[in-house]
Amino acid sequence: MNRRDVLRAASGGLVAVIGLGAAVWSQVPVLPKRPAPTAGDAIGWIRFKDGAYELTLPRVEMGQHIATALKQVACSELHVAWDKVQVQLHDTNLPRVKATVGSESVAQFAEPLAQACASLRVAIKEGRDHGLVTVTPRPTSELSAFKGEGVVGVSPELVQGRDIVQGRPLYAADMVGADMRHGRVLFAPVTTDVGSRPVKWNAAAAKAVPGFVALVEEVPGPRGHTVGLGIIARHPDALSQIAEALAIEWDLDSAPDILDMEAAIDIDKALSPTGLKNAVMNDPVEEGAWDGSFRYDFAFAPHGQIEPRAAVAEWQNGTLTVWTGTQDAFYIRDELADRFGMAPGNVRVQSMRVGGAFGGKVLCRAEVEAAFLARESGTRVKVQWTRSQELSRAYHRPPSSHRVRFRLSEGRLTDWDHQQMSSHIIFTSAGIPAWMQAGTNLAAGDPGVARGMKMPYQVARARASYDLVRLPVHSGPWRGLGAGPNNLAIECTIDEAAWTLGADPVEFRLRHLQDPRLKAVLQRVAESSGWQGHAPNQDSTERKGRGVACGIYKEHSYAAVVADVSVAPDGTIRVTRLWCAHDCGMVINPDQVRAQCEGNLAWSVGLVLHDGLPVSNGGVVADHFSETPIPAMPEVPKMSVNLVERSHAPSGAGETVIVAGPGAIANAIRAATGMRPTRFPVVPSEFAL
Amino acid sequence: MKILLNNENQVIPEPWRQGSLLFLLRDYFGLVGAKLGCGEGVCGACTVIVDGVAIRSCITSADSVQGARVETVEGLAGDGGPLHPVQQAWLDHAVPQCGYCQAGQIMSAVALLRENAQPTSDEVEDAMEGNLCRCGTYQRIRAAIHSVAEVKR
Repeated sequence: MNRRDVLRAASGGLVAVIGLGAAVWSQVPVLPKRPAPTAGDAIGWIRFKDGAYELTLPRVEMGQHIATALKQVACSELHVAWDKVQVQLHDTNLPRVKATVGSESVAQFAEPLAQACASLRVAIKEGRDHGLVTVTPRPTSELSAFKGEGVVGVSPELVQGRDIVQGRPLYAADMVGADMRHGRVLFAPVTTDVGSRPVKWNAAAAKAVPGFVALVEEVPGPRGHTVGLGIIARHPDALSQIAEALAIEWDLDSAPDILDMEAAIDIDKALSPTGLKNAVMNDPVEEGAWDGSFRYDFAFAPHGQIEPRAAVAEWQNGTLTVWTGTQDAFYIRDELADRFGMAPGNVRVQSMRVGGAFGGKVLCRAEVEAAFLARESGTRVKVQWTRSQELSRAYHRPPSSHRVRFRLSEGRLTDWDHQQMSSHIIFTSAGIPAWMQAGTNLAAGDPGVARGMKMPYQVARARASYDLVRLPVHSGPWRGLGAGPNNLAIECTIDEAAWTLGADPVEFRLRHLQDPRLKAVLQRVAESSGWQGHAPNQDSTERKGRGVACGIYKEHSYAAVVADVSVAPDGTIRVTRLWCAHDCGMVINPDQVRAQCEGNLAWSVGLVLHDGLPVSNGGVVADHFSETPIPAMPEVPKMSVNLVERSHAPSGAGETVIVAGPGAIANAIRAATGMRPTRFPVVPSEFAL
Repeated sequence: MKILLNNENQVIPEPWRQGSLLFLLRDYFGLVGAKLGCGEGVCGACTVIVDGVAIRSCITSADSVQGARVETVEGLAGDGGPLHPVQQAWLDHAVPQCGYCQAGQIMSAVALLRENAQPTSDEVEDAMEGNLCRCGTYQRIRAAIHSVAEVKR
């Protein structure tokens, strides 16, 4: 960005901080806009041309198969066969739609799409064949899709499924060609909170690498005064060789903060008799003796998606086109327009199929790097992060530290106190500078950290509260946000309360639940698993146990899980069987709701056994995927998923089971070993005989 | 320098010989089914079959496959022909979620079933252990592989 661009950004109403050199972006982050869709918006998603229908998917496709679900809605409402509707992924020429986050695509987009399709169907029937159709909303009860007609409620062949199994190009990095150049931007190996820039490098050695094309100096990094050195090569393999040959020396504005993160979020140092700063439940709970007090600690954890983020950028006549696998093409467009001082209309972002995101592909990173390198080199440039960059430069699930305490009287929980220390999720430190976080801390806390702290059990006095610490590593959204760790802490503690009373954990939960849908999934999973209590037993070598947990996600989706585990003498834990019951209201595609439940069960295994990213001295110290394992096939057991279908409005399925799966597994470990897992991922040696 | 790639003789031009087989396939031949995941041979997204063996193309140098028979997911079904039974089983069981790892999974499954038409459950686990899927599609992968074995029986 040159000086004029900075000034242009300033005249657009943004604060441009005057800094050193040309590489200082606006210090006010572009914030994502999240409008809810309306039926009027939806008319732009569906069109009829030459006897065929074209559905422009208003969501990002990242494996939740929303393309299939919304095509089902469209076919049902248009009263047409499966092959009459073609689906295409959107670009930013579509009127803005919100980011694909929070498992809300069916809940928020199915009805507007159905309304638009219903009006389109009527218009065609009336003989219209061109022009814009005005959507006349009708009661949901009159919509074919919501009556479960046509292909709603069944599971047709997946949209893009045939392309996937044949290896056809679908993802951003699949764009190839003789004119494609490959780029990477190298930054100092420290947090982007510290200003840094390359001061010395061996250009001659870099140029000697076969395939070298160019060095690009002064590549601006994310917020803050970070400057990188860009490299462009003809062959992707050359990038790492060039990076090594450069042997860059870095200049830092200050020493990186080597805050001891474990100490900074140590809940027992922060514990308050009146609760922490941000209250989620706030009954007055008195200090004094507790019948149970348990601490749980969760590691900093990566998303572990298989696709490292990638983007391709191309400039033509002052306009920029970027192809990227992102959860929010419009935010990427806005950020690129801001960065390059352009009118948003001169930037087009094409969303590509995403090879796994899980909350991790929201910010604009590879996109701006590709765009910068493409502008400087005048060629099409592809940037795909290395695994090392994914680990050190992306944001991850924040670590958290919890203490949960309870009192019992006459077989019931009477008092509940859950306090948590963590770092930011919604107001991710990767996108929000410290000074702005000070404001969000005061005004809103962080709803992502709070998610799931409001527990569903009926207790006379319940308090849940949390506080936030900005860490030198970047935390942000991860599947389910805080719901995975918070519900695991809650479900472990409920289990301990049941143990204290010698009560059956299913019966103990039912005793404290009022929500009929939550009770129903719990009863359903107890039936399907043949629940007969913890069933701890020990054969000659292995300790075996069974656990249960349940929960509500975002106050509208319900899950309950039963897990069996087997623990070897050396403490190695195997999950041997999983059962799940799930209720997300009306279901468009039952098989894909089951698939989302299965995926969350696999994530539950990972959350308990594996998910962690090593940090030391204020920075990530892992460079390789092998240092951050995810479950492999032998670790993910047979699972049975039981859908409780209802006529309630559809809610979401993408994250629900993460509220119950980890708790069930942890409670099974407790049943098998007599020891309560309190540190996640668990340390197997702690369970050795 | 030549290879037999999906049953066609191909020449590897000089600038691509020093790099990895993965980028040769993707960026020179345009066969993008095999994917970059970890870059160190631990995730399996880059799996292709070389002389009958499922290998990790991201850590295999292009010049090491000289004269070899290389098969990628694109070569499993003939042009316009029906899908390979493993590909069809993947569709029938709706295996893919995000799909990024699935070409690698399919190639490992194809190599297994050629070697062992009736694998036991343990043999499936052993053969597939090196192909990671973060979406968690393993149960369906198992079912798809066993269904192909069942049909062959």
